[in-house]
Amino acid sequence: MKRALVIGGTGFVGLNLVDALLAGGWEVRVPVRRHSITLFLRSREVERVRVDFDEPDQLRGAMRGQDAVFMAAGHYPRYSLDPAREIARGVEQTRAVANAALRADVPGLVYTSSTGSLAHVEGRAVDEGDVPPRRPEGSTYRAVKWAMEREVERFVGRGLRVVTMIPSGCVGPWDARVGTGRLIVGVVRGELPFWVDGTVDLVDVADVARAHVEAARMGAAGARYCLGGHAVRVSDLLTTVRARYGGALPEPIPLAEARERADREEREAATRRGRVAVPRELVDLVEHGQPVSSAAAARDLGFVARPLEASLDRAHAWFESQGYLRTPKGRDACSRPPMDAAPARSS
Amino acid sequence: MLETPDGRRSRTIELIAEILEVQVDTVRPPQRLREDLGLDSLQSLELLSLLGEELRLELPMEEALELETVEDACAFVERTVAANA
Repeated sequence: MKRALVIGGTGFVGLNLVDALLAGGWEVRVPVRRHSITLFLRSREVERVRVDFDEPDQLRGAMRGQDAVFMAAGHYPRYSLDPAREIARGVEQTRAVANAALRADVPGLVYTSSTGSLAHVEGRAVDEGDVPPRRPEGSTYRAVKWAMEREVERFVGRGLRVVTMIPSGCVGPWDARVGTGRLIVGVVRGELPFWVDGTVDLVDVADVARAHVEAARMGAAGARYCLGGHAVRVSDLLTTVRARYGGALPEPIPLAEARERADREEREAATRRGRVAVPRELVDLVEHGQPVSSAAAARDLGFVARPLEASLDRAHAWFESQGYLRTPKGRDACSRPPMDAAPARSS
Repeated sequence: MLETPDGRRSRTIELIAEILEVQVDTVRPPQRLREDLGLDSLQSLELLSLLGEELRLELPMEEALELETVEDACAFVERTVAANA
């Protein structure tokens, strides 16, 4: 039986990756910290090990004897307010994992990045070869993802066998922190305070997870794979969500206003360490959204993206089953305070 | 400590304080988790995770969503322990 360490195995992509590995007959180990949300992991047949990521020996120890290490825990900045700090933190985290993998002599590291790290192209779908020569300006999220990718690439040159997976916006079950899923939860609960139109590419998280497993088996060292699904206009997506599951939708606002509003709400939220309904990172992803080509992943890994509606239905069913779609009584849709990041209490 | 109702109650309150990064004596049973203490949804998931790890219990999330006060959280722990005894 093959053994895998899934860093980030308590998160959205990570939990789906754990499921894909277990379905493929792998033995799975997940490093957890004291405050990791282990609630969903506990029901799975995995080994949980306590690891302090600031202790290289602990990380290296957790990697030893594994056939593959997956890093599905890339730093995801809560706010876009301090790019230098967020970039430094992401790079440091990536370096710690890659260093430990190199020293533990793991056969392969599968690293999860994001299409946010890619360049903008015109007239065709973006692919894994479209790497900006310099760090993207004007978006903390994109800059962090770009810098982390470059850091992990440095270790390819030092002999670490890395396969980089570059998914677009993931949709599906186990999105406990409500990432891309906020476009569903926000509409259904009538709590999306604003939105901006543009293009987004969405892909089912389970298809992404399976591609990761295939990458560990078949991906060549240094290979990079875009995992795109369906490029849609945000307006079409939100209208589809409302038509399928109900809810309410405010009018869109211009991009510049959306940027300003997201920044302002993040600044306010940061004073109480709270979360905002529409973070700046989401505005940036819509601004830079574009169709994504998965041709290389289809060719080498057999990647196939299921229909978007199927992914939306799966995500909606999960959010509903976990209580995320309950709306407090007695308040009008779209006039409520920004939605919290997770389930509502019923009242 | 976790083998008695009083011990579990104290530990539940300590964990709420730990997650909120406040002094434990500022967390009182009648307080509302969200409105009074500012526990957000992800912190609620964190609390369920920590309780699950320490008590070695699977805590039903559906029921956890109904919790309003610190007292509710303590009672929820006792109900779950009793159901798993």
